[in-house]
Amino acid sequence: MTDKSNESEDDQVNYDMMDKKRKYALLIEAHSKDLYKYALWLCKDKAMAEDVMQEAFLRAWKSLDSLREAKAAKGWLFTIFRREHARQFERKQFQYTDVESMDTIADTAQMGYDDRPEAFALRNALVRLPADYREPLEMQVLGGFSCDEIASILDISSSAVMTRLFRARKKMRQILGHESAPQLGVVGD
Amino acid sequence: MNCLEFKRLALSDPNSRNNDFVTHSADCPDCLKYVGGVRQMDSDLASSLDTDVPSDLIARLQLNQELVEEAQEASGNNIITLQAPVKRYAIAASFALALFVAGFMASNQFGSNNDIAQDYQALLSGVVEHMNEQSITPVWDVDRANKTANTLLASYDGKMQLKHLSNLQFSRVCPMGQYKGLHASLETPNGQVTFAYIKGESVGELLDVSYEGYLSRVKPVRGGNLIIISRTNKALQEADSQLEEAMYWSI
Repeated sequence: MTDKSNESEDDQVNYDMMDKKRKYALLIEAHSKDLYKYALWLCKDKAMAEDVMQEAFLRAWKSLDSLREAKAAKGWLFTIFRREHARQFERKQFQYTDVESMDTIADTAQMGYDDRPEAFALRNALVRLPADYREPLEMQVLGGFSCDEIASILDISSSAVMTRLFRARKKMRQILGHESAPQLGVVGD
Repeated sequence: MNCLEFKRLALSDPNSRNNDFVTHSADCPDCLKYVGGVRQMDSDLASSLDTDVPSDLIARLQLNQELVEEAQEASGNNIITLQAPVKRYAIAASFALALFVAGFMASNQFGSNNDIAQDYQALLSGVVEHMNEQSITPVWDVDRANKTANTLLASYDGKMQLKHLSNLQFSRVCPMGQYKGLHASLETPNGQVTFAYIKGESVGELLDVSYEGYLSRVKPVRGGNLIIISRTNKALQEADSQLEEAMYWSI
């Protein structure tokens, strides 16, 4: 058995021995920052992002006993967050793909994002992606999830995730002028 | 793996540890450059979405859960029915324990807030600093705002109650400088007003001051202090009158 797997087993043993409050505190400490950045990007508003996070964490608290493995915590939490976000902002989510929801100077200032033109261009390229392609890319770039983890969160196959990521990056590169025309074929979802 | 397959995988998973992928990138300078570009785009994208996380976010998330749990415990206590003498003793013991726990939590979770004394400056700076950190606060519908305010108050100060405020927009228990308190906002015809109720020793007397461009009032009330902040004097006066009418203590 490798050191890494020993470490992972030790973590799991420690996790199993913790009481619920300690597990919850660790969940917040370990994942709230990544989740906040993801939430802010999805909600486009600090207060709303915090509100959805508060609700998501409360839901996580209520079903914390169902989380059996410490290593699955992040994906589990993001899944809860996405459901909560969809529940609260389903209508607004559609609007986010509209042109008027593009990154503006006011958004940038309000959300504390980098205001350099290159950063604007990247965020606007991301916004212009179809939602199906954008979501896995956001999860990989902002959440640091693997393709398998994204597949589990989105409840689709790993190969579908890979296809969507391929198309997302391909389109991003075209929008940013890194690639002029489609050159690579890909099997559909 | 050929270059086409490599580029497909590079766009799907640029950090793949697939053996063929790693080997190909070592053998093909063009593909190595290509995947380098993809990784750079990911890194730049992540940087463009980076932002400062509020320093009190973790504390607020924990506080929120504790408040909800307390409220649930409190509502649980209300629906208990006595059925047998033994149960009565058990319930009495539980109730005493709950009171002890509630007292302990009240004195810790919200901070002791016992050193306020005459420290107008700390009260004001805490509230204004918190307001400035929250450049945008949500606007809730009136019913939600009132319901939340009363739920929070039930946990924060069981004796304090708030009549329905038709212009209440938002309310939350927040850390404000060295204290914690109820933070809420009212929409008046003369502008928005923020008010905070911070439990603890009351200041000696009402004080109106201009602070960092805001007109502010620190007002001693039962069991704590009310801090009202606005851009206009008219809005401040309106909010104060309204709160005087709406806030009461069931003693």
